[in-house]
Amino acid sequence: MTPFLQAALYGLLQGGLLALIAVGFSLVWGVMNVVNLAHGSFVILGAYVGWEMNTKLGWDPFLAMFVSAAVLFALGYLIQRFVINLVINGPIFITLLLTFGLDLLIVQGMNIVFSGNYRSIHTGYASTGLDLGSVRVPVGRLLAFGVAVLLTVALVYLVSRTRVGTSIMATGMDRGAARLMGIRSRHVYALTFGIAAALAAVAGVMVGTVGTFSPAAAAGYTLLSFVIAVLGGLGNMYGALLGGLVIGLVDSLAGLYLPGTWVNALAFLVLVVVLIFRPSGLVGRAYYSARVEV
Amino acid sequence: MATTVTSPEAEAAPAASAAQSPVRRWGPWGLGILALVAMLVLQSQLYVGQERTVAAIFMFVALAQGWNLIGGFTGYACFGQVVFFGIGGYFTAVAMVHWQVNFWTALVASGIVAALFGAVIGLPLLRLKGHYFAIATLGVAEGMREVVTNLPDLTGGGAGITIPTVGDQAPTAYLGNDGFYLLFLALAALSVLVGGLVSRNKFGFALRAINQDEDAAASMGINTTWAKVAAFSLSGFITGLVGATYAFQQAVIFPERLFSVDITVLMVVMVVIGGSGTVLGPLLGAVVLQFLSEYLRQNFTSAHTFILGVIIIIAVILIPQGAVNYFREARRTGEYSLLANVRRYRL
Repeated sequence: MTPFLQAALYGLLQGGLLALIAVGFSLVWGVMNVVNLAHGSFVILGAYVGWEMNTKLGWDPFLAMFVSAAVLFALGYLIQRFVINLVINGPIFITLLLTFGLDLLIVQGMNIVFSGNYRSIHTGYASTGLDLGSVRVPVGRLLAFGVAVLLTVALVYLVSRTRVGTSIMATGMDRGAARLMGIRSRHVYALTFGIAAALAAVAGVMVGTVGTFSPAAAAGYTLLSFVIAVLGGLGNMYGALLGGLVIGLVDSLAGLYLPGTWVNALAFLVLVVVLIFRPSGLVGRAYYSARVEV
Repeated sequence: MATTVTSPEAEAAPAASAAQSPVRRWGPWGLGILALVAMLVLQSQLYVGQERTVAAIFMFVALAQGWNLIGGFTGYACFGQVVFFGIGGYFTAVAMVHWQVNFWTALVASGIVAALFGAVIGLPLLRLKGHYFAIATLGVAEGMREVVTNLPDLTGGGAGITIPTVGDQAPTAYLGNDGFYLLFLALAALSVLVGGLVSRNKFGFALRAINQDEDAAASMGINTTWAKVAAFSLSGFITGLVGATYAFQQAVIFPERLFSVDITVLMVVMVVIGGSGTVLGPLLGAVVLQFLSEYLRQNFTSAHTFILGVIIIIAVILIPQGAVNYFREARRTGEYSLLANVRRYRL
């Protein structure tokens, strides 16, 4: 029983982090219909900013994550405002290709600046653990999980209760009508992309705190975001949280009982089957499907 | 082509096809044959290293033409095209290693296996649209990579599988640089030929109609399911042949390499930058991009993908419809301004 509990707990903690990675990706896709292939590279870039703050200034990663979020928010805002907005009304290939170009540029840029070595952000307490009966909870992962869940809930609050959030959602549902209501869609799109980049950056700092990162890992995080966002239903923030937890749990438990890497094949099988039978995701109807194209 | 004359489209517009000058009608075929001869002459002028580089360009021409059938003509953004490449490669490797089949039989069989796989997964997947189709195909490709990785007895797993190329162990002797140059050239020529035939054929018009408006196409009497699955299968066939040849050329193959997302993305980039839905576009895109990539790799070792990324971003913003489509439109309308392109898709 104990290995099961330990694996389940570990999977849930990991799942919270995965959810934080995917939630911004899901938001951008749901609101703007942009599949951001550079999302994983934002995660890694965020981790590098956190790493710089930690090693050069000695900041705690839970403080550095604010700086990292701010830097990536600015970068994301500028990228959307001055690059992606230029082609956003084109067919889907166009934005896919553009973000692929961005991904190449950012990943290779990081390779040049930071080298391709694996790094991690060190803290005194991340590796210590709490003993809960027979299972052990790593403190770093627990804190990262807390941040992830808190931010996802904060994002849901932001988009459903605040003025900025409602304008983001309104633009996502019907851009033409939103513009008629006086919403500046260029600015709102840039804000949305900035928020997604900032969330990715925080997730990146957490990833760096509980494990290792390198530019080569970026593509893997983009792929994971794909899977989780689709499982949860696009643009559905709680869906992304649930999707992340499910993937984390399945990954961890299957790792315990299945040999080799069959678990990955299983994850993709689940993805394809979900897509075929329920294209709007596991949780309800994606609000994106109600969107009016303009 | 003769088939076009008997098709309903040609009957509906006999004046247009009669008015088509022989140059416009036969010119592309003549140019194609000239290019083929030029490439054969070129071979004798190349060093070994250059020969490999040009063979890689041929390989991407064939891959881009294969993707264009489903992604360009039909408009279904397949993001798992590499699955056909990997299946073709692994089928050849397994057939040659375990069953002692010679390469030529394995090559043809690989194409057929990839085409059948396309038909089987195409039936459920091609009901999905837009991004969902893209992700589902990506999922299939990633899943297949994991399957291949987890069958070590058959495929060697993550450690890879080695095709014997010399001695008594080898069912077929290694073709060498010259041989693979010719084989990749033949595959590129075949893929361009298939693209050209489809483009001018009733089948191609059906695919374009599906791209424009699938419901309208169905109501005009096109069996859209059959057409989509056939296009998917055909593109799988070509991609499978290329994968099989690549596997034999490499001799040692790994799941990571043969099912790499990068290969899919390269096909898409080449087609979109060249001009999707045309025959010349993927050809042009593959040649230019692969040449550029190789040039940058040799001259800017560490920054070459960085520069490639910048070039892709600029190309996508300035000519979003692809080079060939841009020039065709510009010649017809007299509007050469790139800023007009930006104005069309910007927010």
